[in-house]
Amino acid sequence: MTEKPLLKRFPILRVILFIGLALAIVSFIGGSVGAMLRDSSPLGFLATSPPQPELPAEKPFASLFITNTMIASWISILVLFGLFFAATRKMKLIPGGLQNLVEFFCEVAINFINDVAGKKWGKLFFPVCFTIFLFVLTNAWIDLIPGFGTIKMNGLPLLRNANSDINVPLMLAAVSFCFVEYQGFKAKGSSYLKKFFNFGLLACGFRQLFSGRFKNGIKDTFMGTVAVFAGFIEGISELIRVISFTFRLFGNMMAGTIVVMVMIYLVPWVIPSLFYGLEALLGFVQALIFAGLTLGFLTMAVTSEEEAS
Amino acid sequence: MAGLGLDLPTFISQLISFLILLALLTFFGYKPIRAMLDQRSRKIKESMEREEATKKEFEQGQLTAQEQISKAREEGQGIITQATQIGGKLKEEARGEARQEAQAIVDRTRVELERERDKAIDDLRREFVDTSILAAEKVIRETLDKEKHRSLIEETLKGSVTFKEN
Repeated sequence: MTEKPLLKRFPILRVILFIGLALAIVSFIGGSVGAMLRDSSPLGFLATSPPQPELPAEKPFASLFITNTMIASWISILVLFGLFFAATRKMKLIPGGLQNLVEFFCEVAINFINDVAGKKWGKLFFPVCFTIFLFVLTNAWIDLIPGFGTIKMNGLPLLRNANSDINVPLMLAAVSFCFVEYQGFKAKGSSYLKKFFNFGLLACGFRQLFSGRFKNGIKDTFMGTVAVFAGFIEGISELIRVISFTFRLFGNMMAGTIVVMVMIYLVPWVIPSLFYGLEALLGFVQALIFAGLTLGFLTMAVTSEEEAS
Repeated sequence: MAGLGLDLPTFISQLISFLILLALLTFFGYKPIRAMLDQRSRKIKESMEREEATKKEFEQGQLTAQEQISKAREEGQGIITQATQIGGKLKEEARGEARQEAQAIVDRTRVELERERDKAIDDLRREFVDTSILAAEKVIRETLDKEKHRSLIEETLKGSVTFKEN
């Protein structure tokens, strides 16, 4: 028995596809692209102003320092808190509904983190990693709610994707960096610092040089210099991580926002919906990358070299 | 850098917001959920262990019951055997008694019969005497003293009876 094509099995799909295509064509002709081709202004009902993305977060209240990204991140925090509070308010041994859902995601995250970092460390890392994941994800997805960016206050958008304000990715990167260094130092004590300031071999080389053992002295001095340089590189790479964390998230989110804005300007109907889907996926991936890299760096920081090998 | 929107107050505000979120989720979300997950896994483990114990207990109970049943069966068999033996004995006794009784009846009957027979013999003898007297009267046609005859014959008969008895 041969399978019928999807479109033949569900005729309604054909109708939806046809309507979508028609809307896309209409909006293409009537939108800004069509206007450029026709050498006139876009048709009235499809006219949108050209996107003017701003990198710094806008301050909709002139007298206050509150930015629109702050308000958005507060909303994210309220949403997350509300979700968890509602799920854990009346916990039952046999879970149902919201409790079941939240428990499921928490358990998946706990298992994932335990797999990477081990049970002992996983327990410590879970709150920070999972909160970073949830915060980035909620910020990204809350931006996709229709109408989110269109509320205006004093001519400026009242809400904006918090991830697209560089302060938020930088703040998250700083939190991640501080937590990694703190856990590394806590796990290994002062020997953690040896990773960055490795003068032991160099000092040994100098001692040998001054005591007359030139052959070993030169060898150890050379190796010691290499070790010092490697420690320096290690330190720099830790700091560069913060920058790469920041700009990865900021760039992706900002670019995503701009792409959606541009698509809405060019072809107002249908096509932006596809980019909305892409944005939803991108938000998830970015949240996963941010939390996953933090987890990876944490695991690397607390695992000693002997254990790793 | 200002073109990117870097701003210390915003950074600090976002940091505080994030730390508040971390604290809220830790205390209202992760801790209760972790506790619940642990409790649930403990409960499941416990109930599985209990199930195992119950199963073992059940098997043990079944074994004991089986033992008791077989013991009871043996006991019952013993009781039946004993009862059969007692019954046999009782039957034997009853049979013995019946035999004795029957013997007694037979003996009694024999005595009775013997008495009857003696009586009949007596009667017969008297009849015979009378008949003999009559016959003798007729034969000798002579009237003799009846009493004398009788005693004569009686003596004769006695002599014969004594002989017979001997």
